[in-house]
Amino acid sequence: MDALVGLEIEQRGEIVIARLEGELDIARAPSIGERIGDGVPTSARGLVIDMLPLEFIDSSGIAMLFGLARRLAGRRQELRVVAAKGGPVRRVLEIVEFDRAAPIHTDVDGALSSIA
Amino acid sequence: MRELPELFDLGVKVRSLAYLFLAGASLGLLTLAFPHSEVVRDRELVILAAVAIALAAVMYALAERMVEWQLHAFLASGTLILSLANYYVEATVLYPLLYTWTALYAFYFFALRTALVHVGLIAIAYGVVLGIVAPPSAVVRWLLAVGTPLVAGVLISRLLVRLRSEGAMADQRARALQQSEARTRLVLDTAPDAFVAVDGDGIVTSWNAASERMFGWSASEAVGKPLRNLVFPPAERESYDERRRALLDASEPVKVMRLESDLQRRDGSTFPAERTVSRTRVGDDVVMTAFMRDIADRRRAEEEREQLLREQLARAEAERTAEMVSGMQVLVDAALMHQTVAAMLEDLVVKVRAVLDADGAAIFLADEPGRLRLAASAGGDPDAPDPEAFAFGEYFAGRVALSGEAMILEQPHPEDLADTHMRNVGLESVLGVPLTIEADVTGVLVVGTTARNHFGYEALTLLRLAADRVALAISHARVYEREHRIAETLQRSLLPERLPTLPGLDVAARYLPAAAEAEVGGDWFDVIPLTGGGVGLVMGDVAGKGLAAASMVGQLRSALRAYALENHDPAKVVEQLNRLVWMEADASQMATLLYAIVDPHESAVRWVNAGHPAPLMSFGEHPPRFLDGGSSVPLGVLPFPSYDEASAAMPPDSTLLLYTDGLVERPGEHIDEGMSRLAQRMAGAPEAPEDLLDHLLRGLVPATGTPDDVALLALRSLPVSDSFGLEFPSAPDSLAAMRSLLRRWLGHAQAGRDEIAEITTACGEAATNAIEHAGSERPFRVTGQLTGRTLEITISDHGGWREAREGDQGRGLALMRALMDTVEVTSAAEGTTVKLRRRLDE
Repeated sequence: MDALVGLEIEQRGEIVIARLEGELDIARAPSIGERIGDGVPTSARGLVIDMLPLEFIDSSGIAMLFGLARRLAGRRQELRVVAAKGGPVRRVLEIVEFDRAAPIHTDVDGALSSIA
Repeated sequence: MRELPELFDLGVKVRSLAYLFLAGASLGLLTLAFPHSEVVRDRELVILAAVAIALAAVMYALAERMVEWQLHAFLASGTLILSLANYYVEATVLYPLLYTWTALYAFYFFALRTALVHVGLIAIAYGVVLGIVAPPSAVVRWLLAVGTPLVAGVLISRLLVRLRSEGAMADQRARALQQSEARTRLVLDTAPDAFVAVDGDGIVTSWNAASERMFGWSASEAVGKPLRNLVFPPAERESYDERRRALLDASEPVKVMRLESDLQRRDGSTFPAERTVSRTRVGDDVVMTAFMRDIADRRRAEEEREQLLREQLARAEAERTAEMVSGMQVLVDAALMHQTVAAMLEDLVVKVRAVLDADGAAIFLADEPGRLRLAASAGGDPDAPDPEAFAFGEYFAGRVALSGEAMILEQPHPEDLADTHMRNVGLESVLGVPLTIEADVTGVLVVGTTARNHFGYEALTLLRLAADRVALAISHARVYEREHRIAETLQRSLLPERLPTLPGLDVAARYLPAAAEAEVGGDWFDVIPLTGGGVGLVMGDVAGKGLAAASMVGQLRSALRAYALENHDPAKVVEQLNRLVWMEADASQMATLLYAIVDPHESAVRWVNAGHPAPLMSFGEHPPRFLDGGSSVPLGVLPFPSYDEASAAMPPDSTLLLYTDGLVERPGEHIDEGMSRLAQRMAGAPEAPEDLLDHLLRGLVPATGTPDDVALLALRSLPVSDSFGLEFPSAPDSLAAMRSLLRRWLGHAQAGRDEIAEITTACGEAATNAIEHAGSERPFRVTGQLTGRTLEITISDHGGWREAREGDQGRGLALMRALMDTVEVTSAAEGTTVKLRRRLDE
């Protein structure tokens, strides 16, 4: 079952944008997490995870996000996540109170500009 | 005493008597001329002599006219005259001697009895004279006078009788001989064969009528001439001379030879003849006889017969050769047909046996170098166990293999025959030829017969020729088999081993290779689960067969999978595939393709049809209908064709059927006929895809198979009920499937979008836990039940629920609790059950 979830990593200036698409569950979450982590160079100022195209996320995905947050924090890099308002991803993020780890935005530009 | 034939006639007798009288009278007169005794009365004697002479004259004159008694009378008168003469000489002179004359005459000319009468007369007459005269020693004179003629006469008579009878007998013999000679002459004359007799000098003495006809010389012309020149052509004459000399010189009294040579007719023409020559020697005389026969006809008949025989032989030979040639052809045909090696050998061995009229035939193959294995056998005992493989040099077959030469073995020992099936057949003669490819022995062909010396030169030649072909065919077939195996393996690898489990969907597929087709075809199908629960269905048909088609299928299959997983747009996928075919394939290669995406969540199907037969959809009780639309050209035909997709609703309880043209195309009819047949067969067919496909194949594919490959793919969107139960393998990949199923079911339950998302997430957590923590091989089970607006979903596994660790993993439970109304976790030894309940909005 390939391509259940898609990942696109884009460098915009000093910020890395990782776009997640599809459904993210335990099947792919760990590897996705690694790829995103590897895709952020130490020189980057921050990472924006764009989950607007993501249709599903579960606790393993959340765990992945928390892991990334920790990692970036250790490197003094910023993390922002973007999730559609009222969407399933957002709901899950809210339930797990992810905003304590990183700010949740509704659009990518907002997230980008929030990284000073 | 038998009446003897008269030697003399009366005339002769009379004349003889006349001479006698004359002689007597003359003698008497002569005695008177000489000085004689006084007592003799001359005058009377002269008178008597004159009387005698007169009587003689009379007799002489009347000779022919006289009769028997007259002769006797004359003779008697002669006696009287003599008696008177004796009286007139006083019975002292030796006149009685004259009685002897008369007596001799009588004995000479008359029968014994008659002669004795005359002697009696003499005796009486002289006795009277003696009585009258009474000379001294009268009795002595009487005895002498009578006795002498009597004795002499009797003797004479005897002699005469002897002479007469002998003469008569000789006469008889001569006559008999004459008769027999006459008969022989008649036989010879009428004989069909020429008969010739020659004397010691080679002069013809006998020449029969057949000789006249054969040689053209009449008997008068031939007799007296040398045979040499009459019948022999000049070339033969010398050898005739030699042979005649040899024949003459040969010591045996009788010698017979049979000779053949050309003989010559009067007109100079020659002819072949056979003659049987016989040489007989009688005393100093030599007689050579020959029977001659014209054997021209016989020769011709013989030649004709020989010619006929030769022709018959030649014809038989030609027929045999023709048989052998056609036999060869049969073998060659069998050998060159596309078959597996095993089937070809079975066929060949039977044909070899028939063509050579053998009692048994066997083919051994050297599968391993230096070892032979029995590959096929015909004519022997089928129940005998198969022999083990054996090395070159063992058994007759092994010796043939080792020597690399053809061999014949007479009276083979049964144990020497490698083919165990042949051992009890009682073979008297076996012939083996090696099967070689470029000097390598790859096998041995052995034939055997129960009739000795049955295999001649032609059989050996034929077998050698056959062996060459067989060896070549075997190597071809092996290559072919290898290719076929490769192609088959390739093809099999190109078809999905297992169809994926698709929740809410039931899918089945069939692939039927074409009947009697050894090459793999270009049909392929695929089922590609896509993210989001959809599934891509592929049905394709690459033109052509064999490795080329199979490898194209491979390329297309992989490419399409890749494109499909990347892009959920059927049109785009097919476009990309077309570019691949256009660029990669040969000019002649093209493919038809049907690519459909079934979205059970949306209850819809979208498809693109590149020249492929339209899929068939059935829904519940409705009649099946073909999904026309979305049609375009096959792949590889145009560089940039446009592919437009079409779509149709595919609610639960509907079935989609994809297939290749092998199912609906029959020679001689339009494809529409086959398609309507398919639609008919689909109506009323069983619902479950496996059963449906069996039903379709049973009704549409003839028992003998189809000329083209047939591929079928059926996908059924399961009807959604208020409850469901499914098992999933305990693997992370199952989660997406489960989610898809849930979404569908929840959609059917009329849940809201958010509700669906939340419930799905919660179940996902439970399932994740089941997979993660259960950690077992056994599947986990998901059941759902909708009661009114309350739904309850149970996820159960067979493992133990590990208490969540704090931190990351603890979120799962928290999520569940947050998203569902109630969460019940029951942990037991057999497994863990998580029950999630939520009331749906109205």
